[in-house]
Amino acid sequence: MFCYNCGCHLSEHDYCTSCGADVALYKRIMILSNRFYNEGLARAGLRDLTGAVTNLRQSLKFNKNNIEARNLLGLVYFEMGETVAALSEWVISKNTRPEKNIADDYINMIQASASRLDSINQTIKKYNQALVYCRQDSKDLAVIQLRKVLSLNPKFIRAHQLLALLYMDSEQWDKAKRELVKCADMDRNNIQTLTYMREVDRMLAPDETGKISRRKEREEAVRYQMENEVLIQPKGVKEPRRSGVGTLLNIMLGLVIGVAVMYFLVVPSVRTNVLNQSQQKINQISNESDAKNNTIADLENQIKEIEQETARLQGELERYAGTDGTLQSMDQLLVAAGKYVTAMQYSETSVERGQYFQETADMMDQIKDSVVLEETSESFQNLYQLVFDGIGPYMSVAYYEIGNPLYLASRFEEAIPILEKAVEYNPENGDPYYALGRSYDGVGRSEEALAALEKFVEIYPLRDRATTARQIISRLKNELAN
Amino acid sequence: MINFEEELKKFRPSLEVEDAEESIYNQDLTDMADLLVRMIQEVQETEEQ
Repeated sequence: MFCYNCGCHLSEHDYCTSCGADVALYKRIMILSNRFYNEGLARAGLRDLTGAVTNLRQSLKFNKNNIEARNLLGLVYFEMGETVAALSEWVISKNTRPEKNIADDYINMIQASASRLDSINQTIKKYNQALVYCRQDSKDLAVIQLRKVLSLNPKFIRAHQLLALLYMDSEQWDKAKRELVKCADMDRNNIQTLTYMREVDRMLAPDETGKISRRKEREEAVRYQMENEVLIQPKGVKEPRRSGVGTLLNIMLGLVIGVAVMYFLVVPSVRTNVLNQSQQKINQISNESDAKNNTIADLENQIKEIEQETARLQGELERYAGTDGTLQSMDQLLVAAGKYVTAMQYSETSVERGQYFQETADMMDQIKDSVVLEETSESFQNLYQLVFDGIGPYMSVAYYEIGNPLYLASRFEEAIPILEKAVEYNPENGDPYYALGRSYDGVGRSEEALAALEKFVEIYPLRDRATTARQIISRLKNELAN
Repeated sequence: MINFEEELKKFRPSLEVEDAEESIYNQDLTDMADLLVRMIQEVQETEEQ
């Protein structure tokens, strides 16, 4: 104990040995403060928390610097679930004595975990909300909220008391008593708890008729808790009882309705789907069929073209080949060449040479009629031309000797093809031209006659018949000019 | 018979953590010792006058 005036340590005297101040009254105040603290400590030990709070607050009224009393008051508040009040006391305590103060540990214990502090705050908010619900006459909600609060902080005496009050208001005396018993276990001499307890005990006690005076023996609703939610199911409402036959009939009716729904709703839909799928399949097959038909038509056209080409080639081949499969024209050419070689073995004036030449010429005519020389091979054309040139001069003379008498006999139609061959075999032979020109003129083929006679005059300009030829040429020119 | 409404009035909202600081500052910490010292000082001042 220190002097309030100079701060010196006080002795057993009623005055300060240092400054002489009168400290008798001051000492008595300090002693009273300590006495209240001791009593509060004793009450706290007996779990008379309300009494302890009263004594400790008295102690602090005498001496605000009684650190032990303030720390203990904080602890008692904390035990009652009043965490913020406890924190307040500890903070003041710590400010009063910053060093070697156990309040520091208490504060750190609470503030160490942010989740714990948040949980404490949530609990307080829910309690305040429950109080608001009570004042709004939403008692069911208030009960639910308070149960949440107590699940988070089971030591919250005021929440237990409020919950008990709500139960009492709804005449749930058993539940109210359970809450009050919990309160009493934590705080034995709480006046409010004791008042409520007496009321509950009075309501639960048997009356004069021996019946329990519970105003409602049966609760109006069944309440049960699922996690943090309290579910309320009215007791009076029951499911109507159904007989077995009724249940069976209901099941049958449900089945019939189900089948009807299937028939009228599901089956048409399924059928439509199946039809659509079938139609799609048919369309697909039809498209594929059309494509194949087109392909077949193309192929048929190709076959026809190939057949036509084959027929054409076959005909062409038949022109070349004989019945025995050998190339007829080539064979004929070889035979003609063979006859030409044979003819050359004879003298120029011999009859045999003339015969072989004639046979050769006949075969050459056949070859010329059967093939197109320009389309034959080069060797074929060379051999053909060799034989043709070989027999040309002789055959030209021979044909002239046949054609000229016909011309002289005025048988122009017969003379012309023979004389044409004479000219063809040897174009340098001028004699056939005169006879051919006169024959043309004789049948009225003036232009051809003019060309043949001019060729004759060109080869033999000095012959006697050249004069005649010129006269005819002049005449023909006049005729053609007109 | 307990009156619910009357009893309900006894219940006060609990202080939230955010309000703790304000509560501490507003707390009247004057004790008996302070009053005694002030009274003694006033008596001394009166005697001096």
